Amino acid sequence: MALSKDIVGKKLDSYQFTVERGKVKEFCRAIGETNPIYTDPAEAKKAGFQDTPIPPTMQTTFQFWGYPKIWDDMKGMGIDISRLLHMKEEYTYLKPVYPGTTIHAAGEVIDVKTGKMDMVTFKTTYANEKGEPCILAEMAIVIRPEGT
Amino acid sequence: MKRIQFNEFEVGAKLPELKVGPVQHMDLVRYSGASGDFNPIHTDPTFAKSVGLDGTIAHGMYVMAQVGRMCTNWVHPAQIQFYGIKFKGMTKPGEMIVCTGEVKKKKEEDGKKLMTVSVSAANEAGEVKAAGDLVVVCD
Repeated sequence: MALSKDIVGKKLDSYQFTVERGKVKEFCRAIGETNPIYTDPAEAKKAGFQDTPIPPTMQTTFQFWGYPKIWDDMKGMGIDISRLLHMKEEYTYLKPVYPGTTIHAAGEVIDVKTGKMDMVTFKTTYANEKGEPCILAEMAIVIRPEGT
Repeated sequence: MKRIQFNEFEVGAKLPELKVGPVQHMDLVRYSGASGDFNPIHTDPTFAKSVGLDGTIAHGMYVMAQVGRMCTNWVHPAQIQFYGIKFKGMTKPGEMIVCTGEVKKKKEEDGKKLMTVSVSAANEAGEVKAAGDLVVVCD
């Protein structure tokens, strides 16, 4: 099914996700991260942080745990998720995120390219409780054509 | 943690390499659980084959996380302004992930001393699986 460019500008539901210390530890364990600044508040403070920061790609957990509906949303946009490949992920870091922060996420489709491989780009802003943007994320996916 | 000074590294300077792997099926199961990305192409070989792959493949974000580890082994995390990756190839269980980085550009902009580092992940044969940029705000 061909993708329609009409989905550009489509907003995803906004959602909230509270960053938990245990979740950060679990994520560190899963990626093999052993740097103590991510799990030990004393080490983080020595490094000048208020508390333990999150690893640079941790916000992917906000997306998948905080908004599992993304899969249905993508299906609803005509994306064959069984043929989806991740093509690009970019993060701009504005403010540190600490355990206990409730992230408010807002995402939308910002680009669609159709062709041999259809491509969709999403932009998400992760803000803190005060509404201050902490991380901006841009994700592009491609859909492998049938027979590849 | 040590902070990066603008004069500390010149263009061409290399970051300490990080070698991870070989990637095990269990690493991907664990990463699926932690990240919440339960797309079965990463964990279920039968499903992966049914959609035309040879078998399961690593999450791109698992590879990006490894490159991220290399980055924050080198730079104080508070100095990172941007980290972006383009995925170029699939990583399969059994492959190594070799993460490397090299200072590409230094410039002063809006009073900030910025250092752009090209980062990548390849297998042991040198096939690049992911590549991108890290932008560091230096002291």
